[in-house]
Amino acid sequence: MVLKLDLDGTVHHVTILARRPHLVLSVDGRRHVVENLDEAGDGSRNLTVDGEPVAFARAGSADGAIIRLNGRSFALRRLDAAAEASAAGGGANVVRAPMPGTVVVVHKRVGDKVQRGETVVTIESMKLQMKLDAPRDGEIAEIAAREGEGFDKDAVLARLAAPAEG
Amino acid sequence: MSRLQSSINTASADFRRNEAHNRRLVAEFKAKQEAARHARPQRDLDRLARQQKMPQRKRIEMLLDPGTPFLELSSLAANMAYGGESPSASSIVGIGMVSGREVMIRADDPTVKGGAWYPLTVKKIVRALDIAMENRLPVVHLCDSAGGFLQLQSELFPDRYMGGRIFRNQSMLSKMGVKQLALVFGHCTAGGAYIPGLSDYSVIVRGTGAVFLGGPPLVKAATGEDVTVEELGGAEMHTSVSGTCDYPADSEEHAIEIGRDIVSQWDRLPRWEAQREAPEEPFYDPAEIYGIVPDDIKKAFDMREIIARIVDGSRFHEYKPNYGTTLVCGFANIWGFKVGILANNGVLFNDSSIKGAHFIELCNQNNTPLVFLQNITGYMVGREYERRGITKDGAKMIMAQSCSRVPKFTVMCNGSFGAGNYGMCGRAFDGRFLFSWPNHQIGVMGGDQAANTLAEVKANQMKRNGGTVDQRAIDQLWEETRKAYQEQLSAYHSTSELWDDGIIDPLDTRNALGVAISASLNAPLGPPGYGVFRF
Repeated sequence: MVLKLDLDGTVHHVTILARRPHLVLSVDGRRHVVENLDEAGDGSRNLTVDGEPVAFARAGSADGAIIRLNGRSFALRRLDAAAEASAAGGGANVVRAPMPGTVVVVHKRVGDKVQRGETVVTIESMKLQMKLDAPRDGEIAEIAAREGEGFDKDAVLARLAAPAEG
Repeated sequence: MSRLQSSINTASADFRRNEAHNRRLVAEFKAKQEAARHARPQRDLDRLARQQKMPQRKRIEMLLDPGTPFLELSSLAANMAYGGESPSASSIVGIGMVSGREVMIRADDPTVKGGAWYPLTVKKIVRALDIAMENRLPVVHLCDSAGGFLQLQSELFPDRYMGGRIFRNQSMLSKMGVKQLALVFGHCTAGGAYIPGLSDYSVIVRGTGAVFLGGPPLVKAATGEDVTVEELGGAEMHTSVSGTCDYPADSEEHAIEIGRDIVSQWDRLPRWEAQREAPEEPFYDPAEIYGIVPDDIKKAFDMREIIARIVDGSRFHEYKPNYGTTLVCGFANIWGFKVGILANNGVLFNDSSIKGAHFIELCNQNNTPLVFLQNITGYMVGREYERRGITKDGAKMIMAQSCSRVPKFTVMCNGSFGAGNYGMCGRAFDGRFLFSWPNHQIGVMGGDQAANTLAEVKANQMKRNGGTVDQRAIDQLWEETRKAYQEQLSAYHSTSELWDDGIIDPLDTRNALGVAISASLNAPLGPPGYGVFRF
């Protein structure tokens, strides 16, 4: 089971690898052993992570928890599985037409650097103008859309350069 | 239920431009509303004062429980009819609290042509009584009307939903056990006389109140009899001789006091137990709606951003988030009431239609009221979609929606074109309430599309008949069609004709829905079941 946790705005993937004899977790691909979980009853807790003792306090909220550790507070939130599902699907290399229509504005040119969510083309179909955004950060490798021209459903209107290895 | 994550940048140029645009539209709306409510010729206000009558809004204010909200409906009815001479269709209609009960208040407006009923006044009264029946809301009538506006009698008297419907609805309400009270402040002439006549209780003010089928001039013309208003239909005669009215009052204030006491005697019919939690304000600022709704109806926007600014805590449990993504469906709470929301994020495709139909069924199974947030340009057209059965999939959504047993509420947030209006619970589908935003446009198609379609038909016709196409005639037809459409598409035209229950400031959406949902709980759920779904 993979848990998605938002820690102060950064998403971490946590997998439980084993529960016995010790709790073994994979956090963003790194393995950690958690032992000696001990609750004091007043919200403060002690445990050992990879052999190092850690003392912290935890307070629950409707959305997650606030962790007090080393004199700092961290907001920890478990991402909702259903809500997360809708946000997935990024990472593709192309800007694809969701339906037949015409190109209204081409905002980017080949070679432009784009960030995820930046508008690449504006299309019009069924009386509605829609902005089609870059699916990820990258560089525009190809623009197939021509302003004023029509296209079919699933036509590739722009393509991003393959990400560099690393 | 998790909180929606807004991705709006309130500092962006788009946001600021939209905000300026929508604030201007709302200011325009409020100015029109203010004028419809209060701007009257001085002579009419003077006459009212001479008769020692309170303005209708003052009467309503005194009738309502102090400090409780009043949801006024259709404040701009008739704003584009009769050359603007019938503000609010010469009547005030709304839902408020009287003696601790949710009631429908319906008031004539004596400052416009003696409170005469225009055709749209009749339509507004019939709608008010339909709302009362559908939601089992007791009615308080504040009567002060000269009767039908005689110059337009053919448009207000003979048909099924015209004058007679008011009295038919009154009778049905009484039969259903939904009480009505008439407070007679001025004249109730001709048909208007049946309002107190068919109310379960009536109070009449001495000196100014009168009820008769024909006033003194009509009696004189018909039979030659000379008779005064007091003799013919005054408070003393009706409360001591004819029994047409029940209680005489010494003043308008006295009548309202008696009326409030009458309402406090009424039994409370059992309310339907909806799922409810403690209400919570939206996490995101509703005022940001102004910056989200684009300045051009053609521009798309994410309806989740609107949902986040209407629902409790901005929390939304989205149903099937990855399927049929152009229709956003999910559960949320509004003023604590659990609702199922359907909101358009683009054209309806086969998958979005089927998802909508399924979600409507889930809400009916779960006894969850439905809220439709419309911004729809229609169901997808074209060969591929017809082959996949877009018509039968749209029909499934219309079937599920029409046969719903749970209360339905619709908000026209931007555009409503073509059959999308049907699937999304347009006016014809007996939603309990339907509100429009000032930017809203509605029509069978957009102005450009209608002009293009007609121009193409015309050109083909010319080719068939003579072979040559007169481009100037075509251009003229295009321009005329577009202009006529543009005017008819506007929210003001829509609300003028009572195709909705009123334009509201988008910021009031949450409150309007809260009052509407609460009112709807007075009526039991409808019978379960659907017709035949075409698979």
